[in-house]
Amino acid sequence: MATLVQVDDLRKEFGNVRALAGVSFSVEAGEWIAIMGPSGSGKTTLINILGGLDMPTAGQAVVDGVDVARLDEAGLTRFRAQKIGFVFQQFHLVPYLTALENVMLAQYFHSTTDEKEAQQALERVGLGDRVEHLPGALSGGEQQRVAVARALINHPKLILADEPTGNLDEANEETIIQLFKELHQEGHTILMVTHDPSIGNLADRRIEFAHGRLVKVTPSNDTSRNAYR
Amino acid sequence: MFGRLVRESFVRNPRRKLLTAAALVVGMAVATSTLTIALEVGDRLAREFRSLGANLLVTSQSDTLPVEIGGVDYRPVNEGAYLSEADLGKLKTIFWRHNVLGFTPFLDVPTLVLGSTVTSTTLIGTWYQHDVPVPDGTKFKTGVSVTHPWWKIRGRWFRDDAGEAVIGAALAAKDPDSFAVGKRIQVRRADDADSARTLVITGIASTGDAEDNGILVPLSFAQGYSGHEGQFRQLFISALTKPADTFSERDPLKMTPTEYDRWFCSPYISSIGFQIKTVLPGTDVRTIRRVADTEGNILSRVGTLLWIVTLAALAAAGLAVAATSATTVLERRGEIGVMKALGASNMLVAGIFLAEQLLLAVVGASIGFVVGAVLARGLGASIFGTPASPRLILFPVVLGLAAIVALAGSLIPLRRAAHFNPAPILRGE
Amino acid sequence: MFWRLLWKLLRGSGGRLAVAILSLVSCAMVVSALLNLEFDIEHKLTQEFRMLGANILVSPGNAQISGSGTAEVMNENEVSAAIAASKEPAVVAAAPFLYVVASAGKTPVVVAGTKLEELSKLEPAWRIEGDWNSSHDLPASCLVGRNVARKLLLAVGSPLRLTYLNESAQFTVAGIVDAGGTEDNQVFVGLAEAQSLTKLPGKISLAQLSVSGTSNSISKYAARLAAALPAYEVRPIRQITEAEGDLLNRIRLLIVSMVVLILVLTALCVLGTMAALAMERRQDVGLMKALGGSIGRIVALFMAEIGVLGAAGGFVGAILGVELSRWMGQRVFGTAISSRWEIFPLTIVLMVAVALAGALPLRLLGKVKPAVIFRGE
Repeated sequence: MATLVQVDDLRKEFGNVRALAGVSFSVEAGEWIAIMGPSGSGKTTLINILGGLDMPTAGQAVVDGVDVARLDEAGLTRFRAQKIGFVFQQFHLVPYLTALENVMLAQYFHSTTDEKEAQQALERVGLGDRVEHLPGALSGGEQQRVAVARALINHPKLILADEPTGNLDEANEETIIQLFKELHQEGHTILMVTHDPSIGNLADRRIEFAHGRLVKVTPSNDTSRNAYR
Repeated sequence: MFGRLVRESFVRNPRRKLLTAAALVVGMAVATSTLTIALEVGDRLAREFRSLGANLLVTSQSDTLPVEIGGVDYRPVNEGAYLSEADLGKLKTIFWRHNVLGFTPFLDVPTLVLGSTVTSTTLIGTWYQHDVPVPDGTKFKTGVSVTHPWWKIRGRWFRDDAGEAVIGAALAAKDPDSFAVGKRIQVRRADDADSARTLVITGIASTGDAEDNGILVPLSFAQGYSGHEGQFRQLFISALTKPADTFSERDPLKMTPTEYDRWFCSPYISSIGFQIKTVLPGTDVRTIRRVADTEGNILSRVGTLLWIVTLAALAAAGLAVAATSATTVLERRGEIGVMKALGASNMLVAGIFLAEQLLLAVVGASIGFVVGAVLARGLGASIFGTPASPRLILFPVVLGLAAIVALAGSLIPLRRAAHFNPAPILRGE
Repeated sequence: MFWRLLWKLLRGSGGRLAVAILSLVSCAMVVSALLNLEFDIEHKLTQEFRMLGANILVSPGNAQISGSGTAEVMNENEVSAAIAASKEPAVVAAAPFLYVVASAGKTPVVVAGTKLEELSKLEPAWRIEGDWNSSHDLPASCLVGRNVARKLLLAVGSPLRLTYLNESAQFTVAGIVDAGGTEDNQVFVGLAEAQSLTKLPGKISLAQLSVSGTSNSISKYAARLAAALPAYEVRPIRQITEAEGDLLNRIRLLIVSMVVLILVLTALCVLGTMAALAMERRQDVGLMKALGGSIGRIVALFMAEIGVLGAAGGFVGAILGVELSRWMGQRVFGTAISSRWEIFPLTIVLMVAVALAGALPLRLLGKVKPAVIFRGE
């Protein structure tokens, strides 16, 4: 399988604070990676850099052949539009746009909008009958599902999820995790930040962080994975 | 502790306060300058209107009926009553003496002038720029330079005590060789063969009035020439007045003492005319209606207009400040949430913010006042030619306006903030 | 999608924008009213200036009026024909005059024969005692100056006998004039009566015109009239025309400065509101950037939103401004100010400019770093 992400000695400093103190790893296409660790360990920073939302202080981060560290503002914008799909803990849907329009927004910034395609994407996540609803009228789980549809609409190379179930109750959490499992099976590459070990066990590999450094890489064993199916 | 909280709140994060401060400075600068100009414009325009010339005419009450056509009096000089030149200094002693900008006496003498032919014309005795002795010991410079500013001259005006003359343009055109600058002419009264005198022409005047057909000479010369030393016939006065209204037109003899005081102490043309009549007894002081009424009308119209516009500017200033105050409070929802979570009452939170806004208003308005004063000077200079002087009395007014508006603007979002649930804010939503 | 987004943006931020909209509409209202005024004020004020009386004189050219009381004269028909031919709406009044020094008993008095009905139009500042309006067309009525009335002990209704050489005529005093000038010393009678008294039928000594307009247009008119009457002298009265032009300019300058000040203030107000909006929108902007929206596009979206607001505010304000103009005109001048259609597009353009200027904070949104948003600030 091809290497999709290659990170080499990545560093990020905010003034005196070292968020990332030299991180190196690689991700194959189609892998589901769980990024774990205590808060402040640099997980979110890593995700932001890989997603082109932030620039590293030093080091390399190559995603699908593009070194994000070397991109300028315009390059980063295009990179985000074409290669990345984000799913946030706080959903971050635009509150005055309908579910359909929220998905179309991602299309708009990528190239052109296609209402039919957006409709289909929402049907894929099981919200075909709620496309005209505003986020305020949707439950947490439904909002996150819209976010997932949005993340997928431009056929990204990499899906970055930051605690996607952090704001959801158990029932909705299950629905979302199920969705991700399906995406994994379909061959998407997923980098997910989570603090939940049971979710972490579903991934192909677990990368643990502490104090801005990579401390442990664990391929999860089949037993625990099966238990969660 | 309250003071400390306010001070801490005020000093922290100056960048956020910048917008409100900017709005206050600009808003109050505009308010100051519009108010300054509105207060001054009446005065300024009134001065501009003096370019229309005299607005009061004084003649002797016991004078016979002037036989005047085209501004020239054809009565024989021995007929009628005259006024005394020595009394004129008293014009600068009346209550409104500073509003008497200028006055010019006239003495007309029918005469013959010897050019290439003998022409019948009028000798007009007057002042160009003459020093009038005032009872308090000073001298007041006045003459047609003030009361007839549209008169133009080629060459120069006569000196007061010299045998010099200025010829009217129309008269000069009839005999350009004899009536030219530098030439000597001889004048003689038709009824007195011994009255012949010589004059040197120093200039040719283009007045646009009947004087273009006559010869202008110093008053003292005309007085000697006609045998009426120290006298004159008509006096034109240019006074700075306040537009007339129904009150000013009332008969002063029928007013109550308070009303009379009010009338007397306002520079209405009627009251100035009244005061002049008191110091020049035996005179008929008339308002030159054409000039006075036009001036009054236009001044009061422009005054009304300006106040409407000033009000609009003030409303805009108020709105700007209120809007930015509201913004600032909205921005700091986070702080409000924290304070409330820590147990601060609504009153305390409101108190801190309002105190801070007040402080900001005072600082901003003060700077704005200074900027506005400068702005008013500039505007005054470019519109009226002289800069408008700042009125200190506006300072408390502007300060008050800023305080009210800043507080009002903050109040609305603060009231909403009172209902804020701190939890969502602290969670970062 | 662009327009859809725009529409949703506007709807979504309703409350926040309320202050900005309010200030744009009220600014547009005041500015359009003032601009209407600015265009109309010249017309209004020059009307006011006609209270100064005649500003153009037509005289026989060699105007040498000798002491005997007669003068060189002009042909009445010639002059009135020329005036009638060049008649414009700007001529407020035109009156011919024939002057003669007649006697009332033993007192010499200047008598001016004229078209009495034109007199009050020519000299609106005159105060006339007596019911002048109804009696001026009665035969043998005359107007006397207040000094004449005082000297000859005349009142409204008194008879007055005027003699010139061997001719005599009887008049009735229909009104007494207080002008504050030479007219106070004169007697005004009908032109025909004066002409018959002096045995100079069809002749006049002078014509006075009151013409409204700028200094320039009055000079031009005088020149045209002079060309039509080459034998006579036509000149504007300088005292009046010069002062008028200067005053008008100052007043107009005043209004324009006020307009500019108000525009600046409104931009500030919009700025204030937009700053609040920018605060609110940071999350949305961060998201759009995360989704791959470029700065240019995002900023363009917000600018378009503000532009639309400016245009809408300008339009509504301009409509309200028409009403405000009318009210202002009534209060200040007693007659409505005429509204010009050109003010509409001008106001809209101005408001859009002001709105965009005030929307500067939204441009700064372009610099928002998405990562900052998602760190939860």
